[in-house]
Amino acid sequence: MKVLVDIRLMFVRKMKETLRNPIYILSSLLTPILYLALFAPLLKNLIPNTTNVLNVFVPGLLVIIAFLGGLFVGYNMIDEVRNGVVERFRVTPTSRFALLAGRVLRDMVNILVIVTVFVLISLPFGFRPDLGGFFVFVPLLCMMIITTSSFGNALGLILRDEDRLSPIVQGINLPVLLLSGMLLPMELAPTWLQVIAHFNPAYYVVEAGRLLVAGHITDIKVGEAYLFMVPLTILVVTWATRAFRNAIA
Amino acid sequence: MTENVVSTVDLKKYFTSRKGVVKAVDGVNLSVAAGQVFGFLGPNGAGKTTTLRMLNTLLVPDSGQALVAGFDVLKDPGAVRCRIGYVGQSGGSDRPATGREDLVLQGRLYGMSKAEASSRAAELIDLLDLTDFADRIVYTYSGGQRRRLDVALGIMHRPQVLFLDEPTTGLDPQNRANLWKQIGKLKATGTTIFLTTHYLEEADILSDYLAIMDYGHIVAEGTPQQLKRQVSLDTIRVTLGDPAQNPAAAQVLEGLKVVKSSVLEQDCLRISVDNGEAALPQVMKALDGKDIAISNISLSTASLDDVFLEKTGRSLRDTEAEGGDR
Ligand SMILES: Nc1ncnc2c1ncn2[C@@H]1O[C@H](COP(=O)(O)OP(=O)(O)OP(=O)(O)O)[C@@H](O)[C@H]1O
Ligand SMILES: [Mg+2]
Repeated sequence: MKVLVDIRLMFVRKMKETLRNPIYILSSLLTPILYLALFAPLLKNLIPNTTNVLNVFVPGLLVIIAFLGGLFVGYNMIDEVRNGVVERFRVTPTSRFALLAGRVLRDMVNILVIVTVFVLISLPFGFRPDLGGFFVFVPLLCMMIITTSSFGNALGLILRDEDRLSPIVQGINLPVLLLSGMLLPMELAPTWLQVIAHFNPAYYVVEAGRLLVAGHITDIKVGEAYLFMVPLTILVVTWATRAFRNAIA
Repeated sequence: MTENVVSTVDLKKYFTSRKGVVKAVDGVNLSVAAGQVFGFLGPNGAGKTTTLRMLNTLLVPDSGQALVAGFDVLKDPGAVRCRIGYVGQSGGSDRPATGREDLVLQGRLYGMSKAEASSRAAELIDLLDLTDFADRIVYTYSGGQRRRLDVALGIMHRPQVLFLDEPTTGLDPQNRANLWKQIGKLKATGTTIFLTTHYLEEADILSDYLAIMDYGHIVAEGTPQQLKRQVSLDTIRVTLGDPAQNPAAAQVLEGLKVVKSSVLEQDCLRISVDNGEAALPQVMKALDGKDIAISNISLSTASLDDVFLEKTGRSLRDTEAEGGDR
Protein backbone atom coordinates (compact mmCIF):
# COMPACT_ATOMS: atom_id res chain seq x y z
CA MET A 1 0.00 0.00 0.00
CA LYS A 2 1.29 3.38 -1.08
CA VAL A 3 -0.02 5.10 2.08
CA LEU A 4 1.90 2.75 4.35
CA VAL A 5 5.08 3.13 2.33
CA ASP A 6 4.69 6.91 2.45
CA ILE A 7 4.05 6.90 6.19
CA ARG A 8 7.19 4.85 6.70
CA LEU A 9 9.28 7.16 4.50
CA MET A 10 8.04 10.27 6.28
CA PHE A 11 8.46 8.64 9.69
CA VAL A 12 12.03 7.58 8.95
CA ARG A 13 12.83 11.08 7.72
CA LYS A 14 11.71 12.66 11.00
CA MET A 15 13.20 9.88 13.11
CA LYS A 16 16.63 10.45 11.58
CA GLU A 17 16.27 14.06 12.61
CA THR A 18 15.69 13.00 16.22
CA LEU A 19 18.56 10.53 16.19
CA ARG A 20 20.89 13.23 14.89
CA ASN A 21 19.88 15.44 17.77
CA PRO A 22 18.95 13.20 20.72
CA ILE A 23 19.56 16.04 23.17
CA TYR A 24 15.89 16.92 22.59
CA ILE A 25 14.85 13.79 24.45
CA LEU A 26 17.12 14.55 27.37
CA SER A 27 15.92 18.13 27.64
CA SER A 28 12.29 17.01 27.66
CA LEU A 29 13.03 14.90 30.70
CA LEU A 30 14.32 17.80 32.74
CA THR A 31 10.99 19.39 33.67
CA PRO A 32 9.28 16.22 34.89
CA ILE A 33 12.37 15.19 36.83
CA LEU A 34 12.41 18.54 38.59
CA TYR A 35 8.75 18.08 39.49
CA LEU A 36 9.49 14.64 40.76
CA ALA A 37 12.44 15.74 42.87
CA LEU A 38 11.31 19.16 44.07
CA PHE A 39 7.51 19.11 44.05
CA ALA A 40 6.47 15.53 44.86
CA PRO A 41 7.86 15.71 48.43
CA LEU A 42 5.42 18.57 49.18
CA LEU A 43 2.48 16.33 48.39
CA LYS A 44 3.25 13.85 51.15
CA ASN A 45 1.60 16.05 53.77
CA LEU A 46 -1.12 17.41 51.51
CA ILE A 47 -2.72 14.12 50.63
CA PRO A 48 -2.40 12.17 53.85
CA ASN A 49 -4.92 9.44 53.07
CA THR A 50 -3.02 8.01 50.11
CA THR A 51 -0.50 5.32 50.78
CA ASN A 52 1.65 6.04 47.73
CA VAL A 53 1.99 9.69 46.72
CA LEU A 54 3.89 8.93 43.55
CA ASN A 55 1.14 6.66 42.28
CA VAL A 56 -1.03 9.77 42.34
CA PHE A 57 1.56 12.19 41.07
CA VAL A 58 3.45 10.31 38.35
CA PRO A 59 0.41 9.58 36.12
CA GLY A 60 -0.23 13.34 36.07
CA LEU A 61 3.36 14.02 35.06
CA LEU A 62 3.12 11.42 32.30
CA VAL A 63 0.08 13.21 30.95
CA ILE A 64 1.99 16.53 31.07
CA ILE A 65 4.81 14.91 29.09
CA ALA A 66 2.37 13.55 26.51
CA PHE A 67 0.41 16.76 26.27
CA LEU A 68 3.33 19.19 26.00
CA GLY A 69 5.38 16.89 23.80
CA GLY A 70 2.73 17.14 21.10
CA LEU A 71 1.43 20.64 21.58
CA PHE A 72 4.59 22.52 20.66
CA VAL A 73 5.51 20.68 17.46
CA GLY A 74 3.95 23.50 15.43
CA TYR A 75 7.17 25.50 15.62
CA ASN A 76 9.09 22.84 13.76
CA MET A 77 6.28 22.71 11.24
CA ILE A 78 6.56 26.45 10.62
CA ASP A 79 10.29 26.01 10.02
CA GLU A 80 9.59 23.42 7.37
CA VAL A 81 6.87 25.51 5.75
CA ARG A 82 9.29 28.39 5.56
CA ASN A 83 12.01 26.25 3.98
CA GLY A 84 9.57 25.02 1.35
CA VAL A 85 9.84 21.42 2.52
CA VAL A 86 6.12 21.00 3.03
CA GLU A 87 5.36 22.57 -0.33
CA ARG A 88 7.86 20.25 -1.97
CA PHE A 89 6.22 17.16 -0.47
CA ARG A 90 2.76 18.37 -1.35
CA VAL A 91 3.72 18.58 -5.03
CA THR A 92 4.76 14.91 -4.98
CA PRO A 93 2.10 12.16 -5.15
CA THR A 94 2.72 11.44 -1.44
CA SER A 95 -0.42 10.69 0.52
CA ARG A 96 -1.56 13.78 2.46
CA PHE A 97 -2.40 11.61 5.44
CA ALA A 98 1.14 10.21 5.38
CA LEU A 99 2.59 13.73 5.54
CA LEU A 100 0.81 14.16 8.86
CA ALA A 101 1.05 10.59 10.14
CA GLY A 102 4.82 10.30 9.63
CA ARG A 103 5.36 13.30 11.87
CA VAL A 104 2.83 12.24 14.48
CA LEU A 105 4.30 8.75 14.71
CA ARG A 106 7.75 10.16 15.22
CA ASP A 107 6.45 12.36 18.02
CA MET A 108 4.74 9.36 19.54
CA VAL A 109 7.92 7.28 19.50
CA ASN A 110 9.91 10.18 20.98
CA ILE A 111 7.45 10.76 23.75
CA LEU A 112 7.01 7.09 24.56
CA VAL A 113 10.77 6.86 24.98
CA ILE A 114 10.62 9.80 27.35
CA VAL A 115 7.70 8.22 29.22
CA THR A 116 9.58 4.95 29.60
CA VAL A 117 12.73 6.59 30.86
CA PHE A 118 10.73 8.72 33.27
CA VAL A 119 8.86 5.74 34.67
CA LEU A 120 12.16 3.96 35.22
CA ILE A 121 13.51 7.01 37.04
CA SER A 122 10.39 7.20 39.21
CA LEU A 123 10.67 3.61 40.42
CA PRO A 124 13.48 4.24 42.93
CA PHE A 125 11.53 7.28 44.21
CA GLY A 126 8.70 4.92 45.14
CA PHE A 127 6.44 4.74 42.09
CA ARG A 128 4.73 1.31 42.14
CA PRO A 129 2.34 0.99 39.21
CA ASP A 130 0.06 -1.96 38.67
CA LEU A 131 1.50 -3.50 35.52
CA GLY A 132 -1.78 -4.50 33.86
CA GLY A 133 -3.30 -1.14 34.69
CA PHE A 134 -0.28 0.68 33.32
CA PHE A 135 -0.63 -1.06 29.96
CA VAL A 136 -4.23 0.09 29.75
CA PHE A 137 -2.98 3.62 30.55
CA VAL A 138 -0.44 3.69 27.71
CA PRO A 139 -3.02 3.78 24.86
CA LEU A 140 -4.62 6.78 26.54
CA LEU A 141 -1.26 8.53 26.59
CA CYS A 142 -0.74 7.63 22.93
CA MET A 143 -4.10 9.13 21.99
CA MET A 144 -3.15 12.23 23.92
CA ILE A 145 0.10 12.48 21.93
CA ILE A 146 -1.63 11.84 18.60
CA THR A 147 -4.23 14.49 19.36
CA THR A 148 -1.85 17.22 20.47
CA SER A 149 0.79 16.45 17.83
CA SER A 150 -1.79 16.45 15.01
CA PHE A 151 -3.26 19.64 16.38
CA GLY A 152 0.13 21.31 16.80
CA ASN A 153 1.31 20.33 13.33
CA ALA A 154 -1.88 21.44 11.60
CA LEU A 155 -1.90 24.70 13.52
CA GLY A 156 1.66 25.45 12.42
CA LEU A 157 0.75 24.66 8.85
CA ILE A 158 -2.32 26.88 8.90
CA LEU A 159 -0.83 29.84 10.77
CA ARG A 160 2.66 29.72 9.24
CA ASP A 161 3.91 32.27 11.75
CA GLU A 162 5.35 31.84 15.25
CA ASP A 163 3.81 35.08 16.43
CA ARG A 164 0.36 33.78 15.67
CA LEU A 165 1.04 30.26 16.91
CA SER A 166 2.45 31.24 20.31
CA PRO A 167 -0.62 32.91 21.82
CA ILE A 168 -2.78 29.96 20.81
CA VAL A 169 -0.61 27.15 22.16
CA GLN A 170 0.24 29.13 25.29
CA GLY A 171 -3.42 29.97 25.71
CA ILE A 172 -4.28 26.28 25.59
CA ASN A 173 -1.32 25.06 27.59
CA LEU A 174 -1.88 26.57 31.00
CA PRO A 175 -5.66 26.16 31.42
CA VAL A 176 -5.50 22.55 30.26
CA LEU A 177 -2.71 21.77 32.71
CA LEU A 178 -4.30 23.61 35.62
CA LEU A 179 -7.70 22.05 35.04
CA SER A 180 -6.42 18.52 34.61
CA GLY A 181 -5.64 17.88 38.23
CA MET A 182 -2.12 16.91 37.17
CA LEU A 183 -0.46 18.60 40.10
CA LEU A 184 -3.19 18.23 42.71
CA PRO A 185 -6.30 16.07 42.52
CA MET A 186 -9.36 17.94 41.30
CA GLU A 187 -11.30 16.69 44.32
CA LEU A 188 -9.65 19.56 46.17
CA ALA A 189 -11.24 22.04 43.77
CA PRO A 190 -14.55 23.90 44.24
CA THR A 191 -17.51 22.53 42.31
CA TRP A 192 -17.48 25.11 39.48
CA LEU A 193 -13.86 24.27 38.74
CA GLN A 194 -14.65 20.57 38.72
CA VAL A 195 -17.46 21.21 36.24
CA ILE A 196 -15.15 23.04 33.86
CA ALA A 197 -12.57 20.29 34.21
CA HIS A 198 -15.03 17.84 32.69
CA PHE A 199 -14.52 19.56 29.32
CA ASN A 200 -10.81 18.92 29.51
CA PRO A 201 -9.47 15.76 27.85
CA ALA A 202 -6.38 15.83 30.05
CA TYR A 203 -8.59 15.65 33.13
CA TYR A 204 -10.09 12.32 32.05
CA VAL A 205 -6.72 10.87 31.18
CA VAL A 206 -5.19 11.94 34.49
CA GLU A 207 -8.09 10.54 36.51
CA ALA A 208 -8.04 7.27 34.58
CA GLY A 209 -4.25 7.10 34.86
CA ARG A 210 -4.36 7.31 38.65
CA LEU A 211 -6.95 4.56 38.88
CA LEU A 212 -5.14 2.35 36.41
CA VAL A 213 -1.81 2.72 38.13
CA ALA A 214 -3.56 1.66 41.33
CA GLY A 215 -4.91 -1.41 39.54
CA HIS A 216 -8.59 -0.35 39.17
CA ILE A 217 -8.87 -1.37 35.54
CA THR A 218 -12.63 -1.78 35.51
CA ASP A 219 -13.45 1.58 37.08
CA ILE A 220 -16.10 3.54 35.19
CA LYS A 221 -13.73 6.52 34.91
CA VAL A 222 -11.36 4.46 32.77
CA GLY A 223 -14.20 3.80 30.37
CA GLU A 224 -15.06 7.48 30.41
CA ALA A 225 -11.52 8.41 29.46
CA TYR A 226 -11.58 6.05 26.48
CA LEU A 227 -15.02 7.31 25.51
CA PHE A 228 -13.70 10.86 25.51
CA MET A 229 -10.31 10.25 23.90
CA VAL A 230 -11.19 7.91 21.01
CA PRO A 231 -13.65 10.27 19.26
CA LEU A 232 -11.49 13.29 20.07
CA THR A 233 -8.43 11.66 18.47
CA ILE A 234 -10.39 10.72 15.34
CA LEU A 235 -11.84 14.21 15.10
CA VAL A 236 -8.53 16.01 15.47
CA VAL A 237 -6.67 13.69 13.08
CA THR A 238 -9.38 14.12 10.46
CA TRP A 239 -9.25 17.87 10.82
CA ALA A 240 -5.45 17.91 10.67
CA THR A 241 -5.39 15.71 7.56
CA ARG A 242 -7.76 18.14 5.89
CA ALA A 243 -5.41 20.95 6.79
CA PHE A 244 -2.58 19.09 5.05
CA ARG A 245 -4.77 18.59 2.02
CA ASN A 246 -5.89 22.20 1.70
CA ALA A 247 -3.03 24.28 3.03
CA ILE A 248 -1.59 27.03 0.87
CA ALA A 249 1.85 26.30 2.32
CA MET B 1 1.46 20.87 -34.79
CA THR B 2 3.21 20.93 -31.46
CA GLU B 3 1.43 19.58 -28.49
CA ASN B 4 0.81 21.86 -25.53
CA VAL B 5 2.11 20.53 -22.25
CA VAL B 6 0.67 23.32 -20.20
CA SER B 7 -2.40 25.31 -21.15
CA THR B 8 -4.64 27.54 -19.13
CA VAL B 9 -7.88 29.30 -19.84
CA ASP B 10 -8.80 32.44 -17.94
CA LEU B 11 -7.04 31.33 -14.76
CA LYS B 12 -7.85 33.51 -11.75
CA LYS B 13 -6.83 33.69 -8.13
CA TYR B 14 -7.74 36.54 -5.82
CA PHE B 15 -6.57 36.81 -2.24
CA THR B 16 -8.62 38.68 0.32
CA SER B 17 -6.77 40.30 3.12
CA ARG B 18 -7.67 42.98 5.61
CA LYS B 19 -6.42 45.63 3.22
CA GLY B 20 -8.70 44.44 0.44
CA VAL B 21 -8.60 42.10 -2.50
CA VAL B 22 -5.33 41.30 -4.24
CA LYS B 23 -5.96 40.14 -7.79
CA ALA B 24 -2.83 37.98 -7.78
CA VAL B 25 -3.68 36.21 -11.03
CA ASP B 26 -6.39 37.85 -13.07
CA GLY B 27 -7.36 35.92 -16.16
CA VAL B 28 -4.24 34.22 -17.47
CA ASN B 29 -4.22 32.28 -20.76
CA LEU B 30 -1.04 30.35 -21.47
CA SER B 31 0.09 27.67 -23.89
CA VAL B 32 3.43 26.01 -23.40
CA ALA B 33 4.58 23.77 -26.23
CA ALA B 34 6.28 20.48 -25.43
CA GLY B 35 10.03 20.60 -25.16
CA GLN B 36 10.48 24.34 -24.90
CA VAL B 37 11.85 26.53 -22.17
CA PHE B 38 9.01 28.81 -21.26
CA GLY B 39 10.07 31.97 -19.47
CA PHE B 40 7.77 33.80 -17.13
CA LEU B 41 9.06 37.29 -16.47
CA GLY B 42 7.62 39.86 -14.12
CA PRO B 43 8.41 42.14 -11.19
CA ASN B 44 7.85 41.24 -7.52
CA GLY B 45 4.22 40.51 -6.78
CA ALA B 46 3.27 40.12 -10.44
CA GLY B 47 1.60 36.79 -9.72
CA LYS B 48 4.23 34.40 -11.10
CA THR B 49 4.44 32.15 -8.06
CA THR B 50 0.69 32.12 -7.63
CA THR B 51 0.26 30.99 -11.25
CA LEU B 52 2.86 28.28 -10.77
CA ARG B 53 1.16 27.07 -7.60
CA MET B 54 -2.10 26.63 -9.42
CA LEU B 55 -0.37 24.69 -12.18
CA ASN B 56 1.39 22.34 -9.77
CA THR B 57 -1.77 21.56 -7.72
CA LEU B 58 -0.75 23.45 -4.60
CA LEU B 59 -3.44 26.07 -4.96
CA VAL B 60 -7.00 25.77 -6.18
CA PRO B 61 -7.86 28.45 -8.76
CA ASP B 62 -10.91 30.66 -8.11
CA SER B 63 -11.95 30.11 -11.69
CA GLY B 64 -10.59 29.04 -15.03
CA GLN B 65 -9.01 25.86 -16.29
CA ALA B 66 -5.53 24.45 -16.40
CA LEU B 67 -4.23 21.37 -18.15
CA VAL B 68 -0.76 20.15 -17.25
CA ALA B 69 0.87 17.16 -18.94
CA GLY B 70 -2.50 16.22 -20.36
CA PHE B 71 -4.46 16.29 -17.10
CA ASP B 72 -6.77 18.78 -15.47
CA VAL B 73 -5.17 20.13 -12.30
CA LEU B 74 -8.55 20.27 -10.58
CA LYS B 75 -10.02 16.97 -11.72
CA ASP B 76 -6.92 14.82 -11.63
CA PRO B 77 -4.25 16.41 -9.42
CA GLY B 78 -2.70 13.01 -8.68
CA ALA B 79 -1.90 12.38 -12.35
CA VAL B 80 -0.45 15.87 -12.69
CA ARG B 81 1.76 15.40 -9.60
CA CYS B 82 3.32 12.22 -10.99
CA ARG B 83 4.40 14.02 -14.16
CA ILE B 84 5.74 17.31 -12.91
CA GLY B 85 8.71 18.51 -10.94
CA TYR B 86 8.70 21.68 -8.90
CA VAL B 87 11.45 23.76 -7.42
CA GLY B 88 9.84 26.39 -5.26
CA GLN B 89 11.09 29.89 -4.66
CA SER B 90 12.07 29.03 -1.08
CA GLY B 91 13.72 25.77 -2.04
CA GLY B 92 12.47 22.59 -0.46
CA SER B 93 15.50 20.70 0.76
CA ASP B 94 15.19 19.24 4.23
CA ARG B 95 17.68 21.02 6.49
CA PRO B 96 18.47 18.27 9.02
CA ALA B 97 19.05 15.59 6.35
CA THR B 98 22.01 15.09 4.04
CA GLY B 99 21.57 15.98 0.39
CA ARG B 100 21.88 12.37 -0.68
CA GLU B 101 19.32 11.14 1.84
CA ASP B 102 16.93 13.81 0.70
CA LEU B 103 17.35 12.86 -2.97
CA VAL B 104 16.75 9.19 -2.22
CA LEU B 105 13.66 10.06 -0.19
CA GLN B 106 12.35 12.16 -3.06
CA GLY B 107 12.78 9.27 -5.49
CA ARG B 108 11.07 6.89 -3.09
CA LEU B 109 8.10 9.22 -2.73
CA TYR B 110 7.67 8.96 -6.50
CA GLY B 111 7.64 5.20 -6.20
CA MET B 112 11.24 4.31 -7.08
CA SER B 113 12.85 1.32 -5.40
CA LYS B 114 15.68 1.94 -2.99
CA ALA B 115 18.31 0.84 -5.51
CA GLU B 116 16.78 2.90 -8.30
CA ALA B 117 16.60 5.97 -6.09
CA SER B 118 20.21 5.55 -4.94
CA SER B 119 21.62 5.25 -8.41
CA ARG B 120 19.55 8.18 -9.71
CA ALA B 121 20.70 10.24 -6.71
CA ALA B 122 24.33 9.41 -7.49
CA GLU B 123 23.76 10.40 -11.11
CA LEU B 124 22.33 13.79 -10.15
CA ILE B 125 25.00 14.43 -7.54
CA ASP B 126 27.49 14.03 -10.35
CA LEU B 127 25.49 16.03 -12.88
CA LEU B 128 24.82 19.01 -10.66
CA ASP B 129 28.24 18.93 -9.07
CA LEU B 130 27.10 18.18 -5.54
CA THR B 131 29.78 15.60 -4.80
CA ASP B 132 31.73 17.67 -2.29
CA PHE B 133 28.83 18.19 0.08
CA ALA B 134 26.20 15.57 -0.79
CA ASP B 135 26.83 13.65 2.41
CA ARG B 136 26.80 16.66 4.68
CA ILE B 137 23.75 17.98 6.53
CA VAL B 138 21.96 20.60 4.44
CA TYR B 139 22.14 23.11 7.34
CA THR B 140 25.82 23.48 6.49
CA TYR B 141 25.31 24.26 2.78
CA SER B 142 25.87 27.66 1.23
CA GLY B 143 22.89 29.26 -0.48
CA GLY B 144 24.11 28.30 -3.92
CA GLN B 145 24.85 24.71 -2.93
CA ARG B 146 21.36 24.39 -1.51
CA ARG B 147 19.83 25.83 -4.65
CA ARG B 148 21.57 23.18 -6.74
CA LEU B 149 20.26 20.48 -4.44
CA ASP B 150 16.76 21.97 -4.79
CA VAL B 151 17.00 21.64 -8.55
CA ALA B 152 18.28 18.07 -8.27
CA LEU B 153 15.29 17.24 -6.06
CA GLY B 154 12.96 18.67 -8.70
CA ILE B 155 14.30 16.46 -11.49
CA MET B 156 14.91 13.32 -9.44
CA HIS B 157 11.98 11.45 -11.02
CA ARG B 158 12.64 12.71 -14.58
CA PRO B 159 9.48 14.81 -14.81
CA GLN B 160 7.82 15.62 -18.09
CA VAL B 161 7.42 19.26 -17.07
CA LEU B 162 9.70 21.05 -14.65
CA PHE B 163 8.55 24.20 -12.89
CA LEU B 164 11.37 26.36 -11.61
CA ASP B 165 10.46 29.38 -9.51
CA GLU B 166 13.36 31.83 -9.70
CA PRO B 167 15.98 29.08 -9.88
CA THR B 168 18.99 31.37 -10.02
CA THR B 169 18.12 33.99 -7.44
CA GLY B 170 21.00 34.15 -4.99
CA LEU B 171 23.49 32.32 -7.19
CA ASP B 172 26.83 33.82 -8.11
CA PRO B 173 27.49 34.40 -11.83
CA GLN B 174 29.46 31.18 -12.20
CA ASN B 175 26.78 29.02 -10.63
CA ARG B 176 24.11 30.85 -12.54
CA ALA B 177 25.85 30.08 -15.81
CA ASN B 178 26.27 26.50 -14.68
CA LEU B 179 22.59 26.17 -13.92
CA TRP B 180 21.73 27.69 -17.29
CA LYS B 181 23.85 24.96 -18.85
CA GLN B 182 22.01 22.29 -16.87
CA ILE B 183 18.68 23.72 -17.97
CA GLY B 184 19.89 23.47 -21.54
CA LYS B 185 20.88 19.84 -21.01
CA LEU B 186 17.55 19.05 -19.45
CA LYS B 187 15.78 20.62 -22.39
CA ALA B 188 17.83 18.40 -24.69
CA THR B 189 16.37 15.35 -22.95
CA GLY B 190 12.91 16.52 -23.94
CA THR B 191 11.82 18.01 -20.62
CA THR B 192 9.58 21.03 -20.88
CA ILE B 193 10.79 23.74 -18.55
CA PHE B 194 8.60 26.46 -17.13
CA LEU B 195 10.69 29.00 -15.30
CA THR B 196 10.00 32.30 -13.63
CA THR B 197 12.57 34.99 -13.26
CA HIS B 198 12.90 38.70 -12.85
CA TYR B 199 16.29 38.77 -14.50
CA LEU B 200 15.94 40.23 -17.98
CA GLU B 201 19.10 38.61 -19.28
CA GLU B 202 18.07 35.22 -17.98
CA ALA B 203 14.66 35.41 -19.61
CA ASP B 204 16.28 36.55 -22.84
CA ILE B 205 18.99 33.89 -22.95
CA LEU B 206 17.07 30.87 -21.69
CA SER B 207 13.56 31.17 -23.04
CA ASP B 208 12.32 29.83 -26.32
CA TYR B 209 9.09 31.55 -25.58
CA LEU B 210 8.37 34.25 -23.06
CA ALA B 211 5.37 35.66 -21.25
CA ILE B 212 5.65 38.91 -19.36
CA MET B 213 3.37 39.29 -16.37
CA ASP B 214 2.36 42.37 -14.43
CA TYR B 215 -0.39 42.83 -11.82
CA GLY B 216 -1.86 39.42 -12.54
CA HIS B 217 -2.07 39.89 -16.30
CA ILE B 218 0.04 38.65 -19.19
CA VAL B 219 1.07 41.92 -20.83
CA ALA B 220 3.12 40.47 -23.68
CA GLU B 221 4.21 37.14 -25.06
CA GLY B 222 6.28 35.75 -27.90
CA THR B 223 9.83 34.66 -28.54
CA PRO B 224 12.33 37.10 -27.05
CA GLN B 225 13.24 38.24 -30.58
CA GLN B 226 9.64 38.80 -31.59
CA LEU B 227 8.94 40.77 -28.45
CA LYS B 228 11.95 43.00 -28.86
CA ARG B 229 11.31 43.64 -32.53
CA GLN B 230 7.65 44.21 -31.88
CA VAL B 231 7.94 47.08 -29.50
CA SER B 232 11.14 48.93 -29.92
CA LEU B 233 13.91 49.95 -32.19
CA ASP B 234 17.61 49.92 -31.56
CA THR B 235 19.10 53.16 -30.34
CA ILE B 236 22.33 54.88 -31.37
CA ARG B 237 23.60 57.74 -29.24
CA VAL B 238 26.06 60.18 -30.77
CA THR B 239 27.97 62.92 -28.95
CA LEU B 240 29.71 65.40 -31.20
CA GLY B 241 33.06 67.04 -30.63
CA ASP B 242 31.41 70.43 -31.17
CA PRO B 243 27.83 70.69 -29.82
CA ALA B 244 27.18 73.61 -32.17
CA GLN B 245 27.10 71.11 -35.01
CA ASN B 246 24.17 69.22 -33.50
CA PRO B 247 21.45 70.70 -35.74
CA ALA B 248 23.52 70.05 -38.85
CA ALA B 249 24.19 66.49 -37.77
CA ALA B 250 20.52 65.87 -37.08
CA GLN B 251 19.70 67.06 -40.56
CA VAL B 252 22.25 64.75 -42.13
CA LEU B 253 21.10 61.75 -40.15
CA GLU B 254 17.43 62.22 -40.79
CA GLY B 255 18.32 62.09 -44.48
CA LEU B 256 19.51 58.50 -44.03
CA LYS B 257 17.06 55.80 -44.95
CA VAL B 258 17.85 53.58 -41.93
CA VAL B 259 17.13 56.32 -39.41
CA LYS B 260 13.56 56.38 -38.14
CA SER B 261 13.83 59.42 -35.90
CA SER B 262 16.34 61.47 -34.00
CA VAL B 263 16.03 63.46 -30.79
CA LEU B 264 18.47 65.79 -29.10
CA GLU B 265 18.95 64.68 -25.51
CA GLN B 266 21.15 67.18 -23.63
CA ASP B 267 24.37 67.10 -25.63
CA CYS B 268 23.68 63.80 -27.23
CA LEU B 269 21.75 62.87 -30.36
CA ARG B 270 19.54 59.85 -29.88
CA ILE B 271 18.73 58.06 -33.11
CA SER B 272 16.21 55.24 -33.44
CA VAL B 273 17.01 52.67 -36.10
CA ASP B 274 15.62 49.33 -37.17
CA ASN B 275 18.79 47.34 -37.09
CA GLY B 276 21.50 48.93 -35.03
CA GLU B 277 24.44 46.87 -36.21
CA ALA B 278 23.76 47.65 -39.87
CA ALA B 279 23.00 51.31 -39.24
CA LEU B 280 26.03 52.14 -37.11
CA PRO B 281 28.64 52.23 -39.93
CA GLN B 282 26.28 54.23 -42.15
CA VAL B 283 25.74 56.83 -39.44
CA MET B 284 29.48 57.18 -38.91
CA LYS B 285 30.16 57.44 -42.62
CA ALA B 286 27.48 60.06 -43.18
CA LEU B 287 28.77 62.30 -40.40
CA ASP B 288 32.35 61.83 -41.50
CA GLY B 289 31.34 62.84 -45.01
CA LYS B 290 30.13 66.20 -43.69
CA ASP B 291 33.28 66.66 -41.58
CA ILE B 292 31.33 66.43 -38.35
CA ALA B 293 33.61 65.03 -35.66
CA ILE B 294 32.21 62.37 -33.32
CA SER B 295 33.50 62.34 -29.76
CA ASN B 296 31.44 59.37 -28.60
CA ILE B 297 29.05 56.93 -30.21
CA SER B 298 27.18 53.98 -28.67
CA LEU B 299 24.65 51.43 -29.71
CA SER B 300 22.03 49.88 -27.49
CA THR B 301 19.92 47.13 -28.90
CA ALA B 302 16.31 46.67 -27.85
CA SER B 303 15.95 44.82 -24.55
CA LEU B 304 13.12 43.07 -22.83
CA ASP B 305 13.04 46.02 -20.48
CA ASP B 306 11.97 48.18 -23.41
CA VAL B 307 9.18 45.69 -23.99
CA PHE B 308 8.10 45.93 -20.39
CA LEU B 309 8.35 49.71 -20.48
CA GLU B 310 6.26 49.90 -23.60
CA LYS B 311 3.52 47.62 -22.23
CA THR B 312 3.29 48.90 -18.68
CA GLY B 313 4.78 52.37 -18.68
CA ARG B 314 7.29 51.25 -16.05
CA SER B 315 10.79 49.92 -16.31
CA LEU B 316 11.42 46.47 -14.91
CA ARG B 317 14.79 47.66 -13.70
CA ASP B 318 13.09 50.39 -11.66
CA THR B 319 10.59 48.00 -10.14
CA GLU B 320 13.50 45.75 -9.31
CA ALA B 321 15.36 48.60 -7.69
CA GLU B 322 12.31 49.37 -5.54
CA GLY B 323 12.88 45.86 -4.31
CA GLY B 324 9.80 45.36 -2.21
CA ASP B 325 6.43 43.94 -3.04
CA ARG B 326 3.89 46.24 -4.45
N1 LIG C 1 -1.52 33.46 0.43
C1 LIG C 1 -1.63 34.74 0.07
N2 LIG C 1 -2.47 35.57 0.72
C2 LIG C 1 -2.61 36.86 0.36
N3 LIG C 1 -1.94 37.43 -0.66
C3 LIG C 1 -1.10 36.66 -1.36
C4 LIG C 1 -0.90 35.27 -1.04
N4 LIG C 1 0.00 34.76 -1.91
C5 LIG C 1 0.34 35.77 -2.73
N5 LIG C 1 -0.32 36.91 -2.41
C6 LIG C 1 -0.22 38.20 -3.11
O1 LIG C 1 -0.44 37.98 -4.48
C7 LIG C 1 0.41 38.79 -5.26
C8 LIG C 1 1.20 37.92 -6.22
O2 LIG C 1 2.14 37.18 -5.49
P1 LIG C 1 3.16 36.17 -6.17
O3 LIG C 1 3.88 35.49 -5.06
O4 LIG C 1 2.42 35.33 -7.12
O5 LIG C 1 4.15 37.14 -6.93
P2 LIG C 1 5.48 36.82 -7.74
O6 LIG C 1 5.27 37.28 -9.12
O7 LIG C 1 5.87 35.41 -7.55
O8 LIG C 1 6.52 37.78 -7.03
P3 LIG C 1 8.07 37.56 -6.63
O9 LIG C 1 8.89 37.93 -7.81
O10 LIG C 1 8.26 38.54 -5.52
O11 LIG C 1 8.23 36.14 -6.20
C9 LIG C 1 1.27 39.58 -4.29
O12 LIG C 1 0.71 40.86 -4.15
C10 LIG C 1 1.16 38.78 -3.02
O13 LIG C 1 1.29 39.62 -1.90
MG1 LIG D 1 7.42 34.45 -6.72
